[in-house]
Amino acid sequence: MSFELFSNLVGAFFTLCIFSFLYKDNPFYQAAEQMLVGISLGYGLVFTFERVFIPYVYQPIIIKHQFILIIPALMGIMYLLRFSRNLSWLSRYPIAFSMMMVGMGVPMGMHASILVQMRQAMVPVETLNLFLILLGTVAVLLYFFFSKAHSGVYGKFVNVGKWYMMIGFGASFGLTVMARISLLIGRIQFLVNDVFGLIK
Amino acid sequence: MNIFERMQKLDRRWIYIVVALAIIIPLMIPYDSDNVTTPPTENLYQMIDSFAGREDRAILMSFYHDAATMPELFPMEVAILRHAFERKVKVFALTWYPAGAPIIDYALNSVKEEFPDIQSGVDYCNFGYKPQAFAMIMGMGDNIANTMNTDAEGRKLENLPIMKGINNYSELNLVVEFSGSVAGMTWITYARPKFGLNVATGVTAVMAADYYPYLQSGQMIGMLSGLKGAAEYEKLVDVFAAYRDPVIDYRITEDAEGNQILPGRPFGREILEDEASLDLSKITTQTLAKFTDEQYLSFSAKYPEHLALLNSLREVQDGQVVIDVTKITPEMRNEMGEFLYRELNQLTRNTLYKFKVARIGMNAQSVAHIMIILFIVIGNVGYFIQKAREVKN
Repeated sequence: MSFELFSNLVGAFFTLCIFSFLYKDNPFYQAAEQMLVGISLGYGLVFTFERVFIPYVYQPIIIKHQFILIIPALMGIMYLLRFSRNLSWLSRYPIAFSMMMVGMGVPMGMHASILVQMRQAMVPVETLNLFLILLGTVAVLLYFFFSKAHSGVYGKFVNVGKWYMMIGFGASFGLTVMARISLLIGRIQFLVNDVFGLIK
Repeated sequence: MNIFERMQKLDRRWIYIVVALAIIIPLMIPYDSDNVTTPPTENLYQMIDSFAGREDRAILMSFYHDAATMPELFPMEVAILRHAFERKVKVFALTWYPAGAPIIDYALNSVKEEFPDIQSGVDYCNFGYKPQAFAMIMGMGDNIANTMNTDAEGRKLENLPIMKGINNYSELNLVVEFSGSVAGMTWITYARPKFGLNVATGVTAVMAADYYPYLQSGQMIGMLSGLKGAAEYEKLVDVFAAYRDPVIDYRITEDAEGNQILPGRPFGREILEDEASLDLSKITTQTLAKFTDEQYLSFSAKYPEHLALLNSLREVQDGQVVIDVTKITPEMRNEMGEFLYRELNQLTRNTLYKFKVARIGMNAQSVAHIMIILFIVIGNVGYFIQKAREVKN
């Protein structure tokens, strides 16, 4: 038996164990679930050590003598002090430092997510699509304006905003179903092609 | 208990079985179906294709995901790499996520198997995992070699042939971010306004709705959404990038006027709208290389030393000259050489499984969606009829 076939058979076994939950909860499912948690944690730990700690901390500091990197390394360690009752206050420093990123993100985020979007909503209404976008934007914004009762003509207009949101939620739901089915397709393609294909 | 009450109380496991069968059967028995391409996919394809054969242009693929989202994102990555390798587009790859590094290797190796001429450091460069996404994104806008320093194999970037003509985002002019999150926003927020970098995303279907406003505003030039986006891209690669004209000799890199000869052909809407293009993107196994009489004469003229062998394989079917590649014995293959064998195989328009996996998946997806819609309709009809009866009683 080749290694590829063996590893695929292990994968297939645990895939079926997880799928068995669809029938009812059972020891195979529980065993697979516990192993997934344990293996993910172990893999993540070793992987991070190999791919992050060794090339970006150990090698630059110990081998290349880039001692300036000790400062960010120490700040990283400070995060872990959250678990100490006496020293947990030190973990606030790396958090405060990383807040710098938030400061940087505010003006750029305002530009990309608000100003450019507003500019694009203010183009001349030359097509039906642009009219629908304008109508939807105004109606949805007014829907969340609660200083005026949603009644009469105004209430009917803001109701249009509710319908826009309903359509948006429906589209999101459809896309979510599509994504979940894609994951199932991926697993079944693995079983049909990779596992049974090798057995054939 | 009447039928409507039974429908409402149907054990959910029956629904699971029906959905499972709706997916398994189309996967085990693939069939050719049309997959209409959408503007976000076409725009991304055209943008990448506009870099074909250029030394001073490259694309950057950012793999910001782990194995959990591979069923949707991996076919996209493979399709784009195949496009780039077919059309000689320089590719750079990186990830900000440690678990993304093995996926880059897997994607590159899967595609490279079919392109023996493609070399690391010459045609593509893998930066591997890099921390500090923000600093790297801003730094690459000034100088890529200084910011990234080394590739995943530890080679100095400035020494690599691929870096010739590539300095910053003016040349590395397109980034495609693959993620199941809003990671693509980092490029839209920082690199797009500051450096004018073209941004595109390949996202899971769940995330697609979040990105549409940025597509509409022009902040993204294209987007592949879920398995459907991947299937569309696979089709475009089959119809254009993997296309081979029997008349052109691809062993020559320049024509008489000194213009570069690239495999494949440029994007054209009229080609997509032509029903004949459906033949180029079939997912069922194809074994016949088909030619018109003129095409066969031009094709065989390129290989005068193998003319007798080609003529021995030649058959006429429905007024067309065909060569059945399944009839090529190992001895014949040795005699004709690997280049001619590969070219004949390419002319059959037969696509390898790894290059059509999203389209096969979309067949199953279509059937599953119909089943789900039916369940929703039947469930609702049953619910309202039952409710109406209760009111009546």
